[in-house]
Amino acid sequence: MQLQYTEKQQAFRQEIREWLATNLPEKPLLTLEGEEGYHQHVAWERKLAEGNWGMVTWPQQYGGRGLDLIEWLIFEEEYWGAGSPLRVNQNGIFLLGPTIMEYGTDEQRERFLTPMAAGEKIWAQAWSEPGAGSDMAAIKTTAIRDGDHYVINGQKTWSSRASFADWGFGLFRTEDGSERHRGLSFVLFDLNTPGVTRRPIRQLHGNPGFAELFFDDVRVPVANRLAGEGEGWKVAMATAGFERGLMLRSPGRFQAAAKRLVELFRRHESDAAPSAREAVAKAWMDTQAYAYNTYTVAANIMAGGSIGAEASLNKIFWSELDRSMHRTAMQLLGAAAELQHFADRSANDWLEGYIFSLSGPIYAGSNEVQRNITAERLLGMPRVGKG
Amino acid sequence: MDFLIASERLELAEAVRNFFSGKHGPDVLRRLDAQDNRDPTIWQSVVEMGLPGLLVPEEHGGLGMGLVDAVLIARECGRACLAEPLVESAFVMVPWLNAQGEQSELSAIATGETRPVPQHKVNGWVADGDGAALDSVDPLRNLSALPDNASDDPHLLNLGALMASAQLVGLAEAMLDQAVEYSKIREQFGQPVGGFQAIKHKLADVAVALEFARPVLWRAAQALEDDPASASLHVSHAKIAASDSAYLSGESAIQVHGAMGYTYEVDLHFWMKRAWALSGAWGSRGFHARRVDDAIIGGDQMIGPQHTFA
Repeated sequence: MQLQYTEKQQAFRQEIREWLATNLPEKPLLTLEGEEGYHQHVAWERKLAEGNWGMVTWPQQYGGRGLDLIEWLIFEEEYWGAGSPLRVNQNGIFLLGPTIMEYGTDEQRERFLTPMAAGEKIWAQAWSEPGAGSDMAAIKTTAIRDGDHYVINGQKTWSSRASFADWGFGLFRTEDGSERHRGLSFVLFDLNTPGVTRRPIRQLHGNPGFAELFFDDVRVPVANRLAGEGEGWKVAMATAGFERGLMLRSPGRFQAAAKRLVELFRRHESDAAPSAREAVAKAWMDTQAYAYNTYTVAANIMAGGSIGAEASLNKIFWSELDRSMHRTAMQLLGAAAELQHFADRSANDWLEGYIFSLSGPIYAGSNEVQRNITAERLLGMPRVGKG
Repeated sequence: MDFLIASERLELAEAVRNFFSGKHGPDVLRRLDAQDNRDPTIWQSVVEMGLPGLLVPEEHGGLGMGLVDAVLIARECGRACLAEPLVESAFVMVPWLNAQGEQSELSAIATGETRPVPQHKVNGWVADGDGAALDSVDPLRNLSALPDNASDDPHLLNLGALMASAQLVGLAEAMLDQAVEYSKIREQFGQPVGGFQAIKHKLADVAVALEFARPVLWRAAQALEDDPASASLHVSHAKIAASDSAYLSGESAIQVHGAMGYTYEVDLHFWMKRAWALSGAWGSRGFHARRVDDAIIGGDQMIGPQHTFA
């Protein structure tokens, strides 16, 4: 254990800090859940890529910098500390990217990772179906082999970014009549393929942040399948591990929110409830605890370890922490909390953030599912019973 | 930057854990409770493992290790609900005496001959002291009155609070383990109660609290070792995280045990009572919350993502 950054790490921190100071948009971007804001965020991804900041941990040949996870954390700390925009390509760079790195062929890495890091292709996820939410193994959408193509029929839903994105990835039933987690394959598809219909869904805040996807004889090359036919569940679990584990929510984002909450509290101190004071101090403590934990996980992975079921603990912790911080802010704001200014993100970030924080305990595997995983796989409690 | 506890440090803690789980189980606690609370043979085995000398510098016959190592061992002492005054003499007094430049007693501490105990004004008592006896809720704690000349040194308080936090984490882990084990064997409605989601989710919450208390404890130990201006803040953070986890674990464990948990027969009460005692010791929750508050809301501690390790 050694809690000083090396000179190289400090120089790297300085480099990203300076780049952000020069290149950050002058005005906050519109929300990425709406069409105009989406395109602003795509432009920002491309700007990041020009600076070679798309995904610093990836090998240089795919547009990365070949850096380690501690440097990635430093990048994230500076990124969120500077108030930078949300990453519209998060599904790609943090979830699909590491999965392709692990399971893709060289050809697939070349074909998908480079444009992903460059911000040229924005990715949507396509996991859930109307009958397969928390119970993802209930997937029904089929991808039936026809020569060197799969023909996809069915429906996906709650597909983040799919209203505007370029490509999607998800699980499809490639073995007709198979059940549960058998017979599924992990397939990448162009959202503009004939037969794909997108129906944007208005989210709680009114913007079309996700969409339903309808597949009607959609032909996708077999070369777009990651790993073997029927191995989709295993690949998806790895992706979910990345999602719940290290990368989906880096601590910097929450630490930045905690800092803003402290500042908000200072402005409202005279009429704040005593409980708010405690909640604000707790926000700092919990975001720090989350950061320490992430540094441990990163060091563990660098030492050859991996993320297992403990990723569920992470997901429960950050999602409920985020909700609690934003609730505290809403309560501090009082009558001002209800005022909406979604056209100008800076005006009521807390309201938008609170609304978004309500989705955290639901997506990426609901927290109830995470608590079951924690109890059964980490604590070894019995899997019998449904009650 | 490397926020990972080296595996060789964990090996010693694991050896201590194995020793305690073999030789210091609940039967020993019940025997001590029925007799007179302390047993020289237990102290002797602790001495044979070299634990009293863990933090004593090598030139005084100790192992010369650091606070992170001591925190790992103190956690095991909590897990085993050890009654002997190892933590406060070897992991609180030794580094404090050393910091004061008072090294005359250190070699006798390392050999286990003497075991001085801290006397600090933040506590209204001394544990394993010589004064008039006081009754603790914890049947295995020997409390006595605090002398008038007790210290009010903040460094001693920080060391005491850090090591109480470490024991609290171990106590909370042990109570979680006991609850999980009980939930597997107790059957109702035709199945182990641990199969019910209401029970699973309750214990999963304890696992979450502990997962995010442990790194705070490591952080505090390293902070007190490196001694930056923010060390007190990190110790207070650890004390809050550890005592909150311990209360949560105790309350969840008793609930999972049902009426059995409310008896003196079930082992759980030894751990739960130690947790209550140590949660209040070395600065109440309010004391530590105020220190965090003063630094974060009212003070000039650097906060935000760029200052994770400030």
